[in-house]
Amino acid sequence: MIEIQELTKRYGTTVAVDGLSFAVRPGHVTGFLGPNGAGKSTTMRMIVGLDHPTAGTATVAGRPYREHAAPLRQVGALLEAKTFHKARSARDHLLALAQTHGIPVTRVDVVLAMVGLEEVGRRRAGGFSLGMAQRLGIAAALLGDPAAVVLDEPVNGLDPDGVLWVRGLLKSLAAQGRTVLVSSHLMSEMALTADRLVIIGRGRLLADTSIGELIARAGVGSVLVRSPHATDLRDLLVGEGATVTSAEPGTLQVDGLTAEAIAGLAVDRGLAVHELTPQRASLEQAYMQLTRDAVQYRDQERVMSS
Amino acid sequence: MTTLADHGPGEYRVTMRRVVRSEWTKLRSVRSTWIVLAAAALLTVGLAAAFGYGYGQQIHSGAVQPSTAEAAKAAFLGLDLFALVTGVFGVMRMTGEYGSGLIRASLVAVPRRLPVLWAKALALAAVTAPVAVAVSVASFLISQAFAGSHGAGLGDPGVPRAILGAAAYPVAAGLLGLGIGAILRHTAAAITVFVATLMVITAVLEAALSQPVQDAVVKYLPVVAAQALYNLGGAGPVKLLAPGVAAVVLAGYVTVLLAGGAALLQRRDG
Repeated sequence: MIEIQELTKRYGTTVAVDGLSFAVRPGHVTGFLGPNGAGKSTTMRMIVGLDHPTAGTATVAGRPYREHAAPLRQVGALLEAKTFHKARSARDHLLALAQTHGIPVTRVDVVLAMVGLEEVGRRRAGGFSLGMAQRLGIAAALLGDPAAVVLDEPVNGLDPDGVLWVRGLLKSLAAQGRTVLVSSHLMSEMALTADRLVIIGRGRLLADTSIGELIARAGVGSVLVRSPHATDLRDLLVGEGATVTSAEPGTLQVDGLTAEAIAGLAVDRGLAVHELTPQRASLEQAYMQLTRDAVQYRDQERVMSS
Repeated sequence: MTTLADHGPGEYRVTMRRVVRSEWTKLRSVRSTWIVLAAAALLTVGLAAAFGYGYGQQIHSGAVQPSTAEAAKAAFLGLDLFALVTGVFGVMRMTGEYGSGLIRASLVAVPRRLPVLWAKALALAAVTAPVAVAVSVASFLISQAFAGSHGAGLGDPGVPRAILGAAAYPVAAGLLGLGIGAILRHTAAAITVFVATLMVITAVLEAALSQPVQDAVVKYLPVVAAQALYNLGGAGPVKLLAPGVAAVVLAGYVTVLLAGGAALLQRRDG
């Protein structure tokens, strides 16, 4: 469990994080979303004690990270891709981190294998691609078999295989009862992995919610319907109060009814339906809606300061 | 995820001993550590041979009377070079981590932070001290061998102290560098400041100050205090402190810089 309370970070006159409060619970993947510059990285750095809060607290399992006797057992963090010395091998890099906690070298080999770097573990890490560097960072985060992981944009630089692997890893970590906080500026990525969403803009909390709630808040999402009886179905759905548009013959874009409701109505009338897809784009829209003000504000500032 | 066997609280506790082991791994696992130290050691001993030869020639021509004081001077004239290298090496222990981003990983692993700096100091001293002792002994022996029949011996009065002092200087320089690195964090800035305070200021003050002021002040500069550790008397351009006082002064510089680095490491954002 990670708890953020009234957390504030000021750099001179710039407020990076502004009275932020939320909790990250174990057993879920919590997506930490916000436009670039919203304060996600700063918040994560404060969780692991790298940045000192101007005000407020960030606690892990009930106390500040730095007060834990074995901090790497509590939180594994990936904060930026390259936090290693170029001339050192991946294995020696991890070994040096492990030794601070008396974690055995066998564990180093275990995490290297987990991230798929066992073949290159003895090579200079300076020669790693961004994707490999990212995997090494994730290996470091897993080193202490931590109760919580805090990962800042973990899919950055990964190839499609790597992205899939990270998604699976996040879900399995959560399924094991760990606390998982993962940041992204892409709603589409979070939609695939996160159960819970913490959305911030300009350092302030915009939403602490689930994906379902976020969609609900933005109104019922649209549903794509494909049917050989598109015309009949449209009349039926419009009669039920839905807004229906059609981009091509045989397909309908339905707003104002859930997929379940549409299916029920179609079955009652005996109308065959070939496809019924809730449009995830509405999640993206809900997110855009939520963060628009924050982004506009920032763009304005940029214009004014340039 | 495969789990880590944990047999209770404390099993994976961060301890000073463990952080020192970690810092030792960081030192030994980068090949440049050994290349830099070995190259500097060989060069320094080579210089001692050359100066020893020159000293032998001067005795031969009658320009210099043989003495342990002159022998020690010839043996350790090249020592500033070695101290320069260990100093820059010390700077890099800290600034290298800031440059690569490794410092973030180090401080997340040891969020109390100060053990990282203390462990770096211990590991640095542990790697530089044996090399410095070897360089010091080898410099003395080889320079005396090149000086010919007039060379001094290891058992001559004051010689063991001079050899020990000559070994302490590069170790102290390394720790000074580490402190400056911790304070400044950027390699170029820290190396500049290190070279300026250790080498340049001494020369500038010697040139700029009037003789009485110079005599009162210059002896307290780090490099001059270090010289006092391995000097065995004889005529020199500057007045030197007594070796015991010089050791305290040098230790004072190390303490102040490391304490300054520690205070900033603790207070600043990583």
